[in-house]
Amino acid sequence: MNCEVCQLKELEVEHFEIREVLRCILHTILFHRALGLVRPKDVDLELFEITYVQCGDVELEKKIDEKIDQFIDRVEKHPNKKNQICLSFYEEKKQAVWFTNRVERLYWEQWYINLNVAQQPKSHSGKSHYSKVVVDPGESALEERSHRRAALEASLREVLFQIIKFVNEKKDHVPPIPNLEGVSFLYEITIPSSSDSAFGMDMFKRMLQTGHPTMLS
Amino acid sequence: MDLQGNVQVEYGRFEQIVSQFLSKSLHIILDSRVPSIRPFGRSGDLLLSTPVKKRDKWFNLVLGDRPAAIDNLNFGHRNLAEPMIIDIVLVQEVPDSSYEHRLTTTLGLGKYVETVIERWVVQYEYIRTVFPQVGESSASYKKTYKKSIILMRSLYSMMRLLPAYRAFRKICSSTQASDFDINYKVSSFSVPFSREEEEAMKSYNFIPIDAPQGRLSISVTYRASLSDFNLETSTSFPPQIITDYVGSPATDPFRAFPSSEKGVSATSFPLRGVQSPSSTPFHRPHSWTSGLHKISPLTQPLSGSPPVHRQSTMPYDCLSPPTNTYGHRYQNSTHHRTTSFDEHQLSPPFSPSPPTYLSGGNPLKTRMHSETAPMSIPCLMMGRSPRYLSPNLSDPNRHSLPPLSPRSTKYDPSSQDSASGIRLSRKSDSLRAGELHSGMTNHYSAQKVLRDGKDDSGRFSGVLSSSSSPRIGFSRSSSRLSFQDDLDDFDFPFIVDDVDTSDSHSSQNLDGKKGSEFTSQVFSAAKKSQDAAVGALVHVLRTAPPLRQDSSCYSPRSSKTELEGEVDAASQFFVPRKTSDALEELRGYKEMKDLLLSKSRTRVVVKEP
Repeated sequence: MNCEVCQLKELEVEHFEIREVLRCILHTILFHRALGLVRPKDVDLELFEITYVQCGDVELEKKIDEKIDQFIDRVEKHPNKKNQICLSFYEEKKQAVWFTNRVERLYWEQWYINLNVAQQPKSHSGKSHYSKVVVDPGESALEERSHRRAALEASLREVLFQIIKFVNEKKDHVPPIPNLEGVSFLYEITIPSSSDSAFGMDMFKRMLQTGHPTMLS
Repeated sequence: MDLQGNVQVEYGRFEQIVSQFLSKSLHIILDSRVPSIRPFGRSGDLLLSTPVKKRDKWFNLVLGDRPAAIDNLNFGHRNLAEPMIIDIVLVQEVPDSSYEHRLTTTLGLGKYVETVIERWVVQYEYIRTVFPQVGESSASYKKTYKKSIILMRSLYSMMRLLPAYRAFRKICSSTQASDFDINYKVSSFSVPFSREEEEAMKSYNFIPIDAPQGRLSISVTYRASLSDFNLETSTSFPPQIITDYVGSPATDPFRAFPSSEKGVSATSFPLRGVQSPSSTPFHRPHSWTSGLHKISPLTQPLSGSPPVHRQSTMPYDCLSPPTNTYGHRYQNSTHHRTTSFDEHQLSPPFSPSPPTYLSGGNPLKTRMHSETAPMSIPCLMMGRSPRYLSPNLSDPNRHSLPPLSPRSTKYDPSSQDSASGIRLSRKSDSLRAGELHSGMTNHYSAQKVLRDGKDDSGRFSGVLSSSSSPRIGFSRSSSRLSFQDDLDDFDFPFIVDDVDTSDSHSSQNLDGKKGSEFTSQVFSAAKKSQDAAVGALVHVLRTAPPLRQDSSCYSPRSSKTELEGEVDAASQFFVPRKTSDALEELRGYKEMKDLLLSKSRTRVVVKEP
């Protein structure tokens, strides 16, 4: 099976919106990939008029929240414009190589979530290296903010559509579903280290790890 | 033989998958679009502790209890090659005649506009190709199943992304009735969209899944934007609608008449204040409208925008024309109409059968215009009395309509109020001719018909719900159809015989009299605000002549007695006058007396030297 990669549309977010946006996207992807028995749970976003679906798996929720925290830390430490978070699905194959058994990860799908975090520092305590926020509470600023918010909502909706489309178009590479409840496949959420060199290097690293792409089933 | 047997077994399994595919997709679609289809008490989050039924495990997606409507469609026996077309219909009431071309039902007062906002087509496209081999089919149906699991997930997500989901959530979250409702139709054929409808719609096709001898596909055509429909729900009306209710209906409805172009509904109590740009008066009450809305999926009226033409709350208005005529009308009308009549009382509800509510509608309207004032009285009266509200408030279906209780009391004397109301109405039969409140009596006579209609509506719902493929299924619960029951709870304490002569009629009861007085006074006075109307009402009640006569005479008498006791020559003073005058006079006399006595003493003294 090939490793299918999906680059999601880039989103312009403000700092305080990161958590909700990431939760929405990650849960949506996982809902489509948790092919074991699930009890879907509808969750309404607070900042936007969007409802997404979770698997109803508490463990999964915790893991995702942890990763989002890490991401937010990373964004604060490296206030570069572009940030990425990667959700990968893989299978583990044991390979006997030179008298050792190595567990090899064969990635069959990867999702890249691209966020462009606005530089305006939010009320984040303790962070002094952000420049002072000069927010003019005039009408134009408020209007601009609401425009931006509406644009982000539309973009987020597009991203969700993009996920559904991708999930529908590519089905052949999905491995057989193990008889498990909830999240049936192995996955990992990673935050590519440096956004500058991000995509290419990460892909290369992954390819080295997975080795030759093989048919998995 | 074995091979063939295997093939058959495999194909049997595949057929089962297809059948479950159809019912699961229907379940997902209806669950996210039609509020009424959900069993009571079911929340959005499925209880984790609830054991999952085997049939709910299909496609690894647990949705909860399957609605009966889906079972009734009997997927096991239908022709699997037939497409399943699910129309999600937005039902709104629009008084505007320009929507006429889209009318599917015409009601007396308002018109229902049903717009298909989404059309889902789920089908197994049968493509006869090479007869499948055993091994092939076994592997292929498993693959088909796996892919259909993914497809179900994406269908579930997509349901929440499309515009209609917001409308669905509005209805679900609103505690009061909404201006609109969402219904559905399932069939194997559909009327193609008109060109202008198509232009407003987008479509999305899920990638078909290859299946033995064909493929499974789901596609949707949906309205890109629902902003044209002005979907609003009133969530701001507290349960104590009564207080609101008291004032508003009185004044405004009347105004509505002249402005109602259609004359369709006499009353146009605005069901919900929502969209009526024109008048707040029509925004009446949420109390009226909201309750009805929730009564039944179909009937939930959209009291939407043009409040003027709302039928609902002014049942009396409709009834304004001479009772006899009106009564006849009702008697002649179908039960549907009568049910609508009920609805009107409560709010512009639409009975399952589109109420031609004022069944003869137009002529009544004109009358209503002239006689609007009295009409409102019953409403006001109803509003005042909390007892009307109480039976209904407990009803889960109700939404704030005080008198209505969808499943309530039926038309039996279980609730005293309603019984008395009914009795009153019957008494008033004799007084019907040409009286404003005769409408109310008409209403009661209509109640009888409504009652009869209840069964029909119940039946109707039954028919509707059990829809098989070619049939059309409407989601509706029979309990909601019983609006006519609401009439029972509706008390008309003030059945007034004659609106014009406020003093003379004590025929029915004192209440009626008060009602008429009340009507004229209230309507003239409290036009603007509810508070003013309430104040006027209170004033009227306080100053009602019969209650005051005795007390008004009280003080003069008491002063008179005082005078008598004190002064012999008080007879000349026995005229009604104030006590203070009498006291002053008394003082005068006392002084004179003292003076005389003092003079006599001095004389005596002088004489006795």
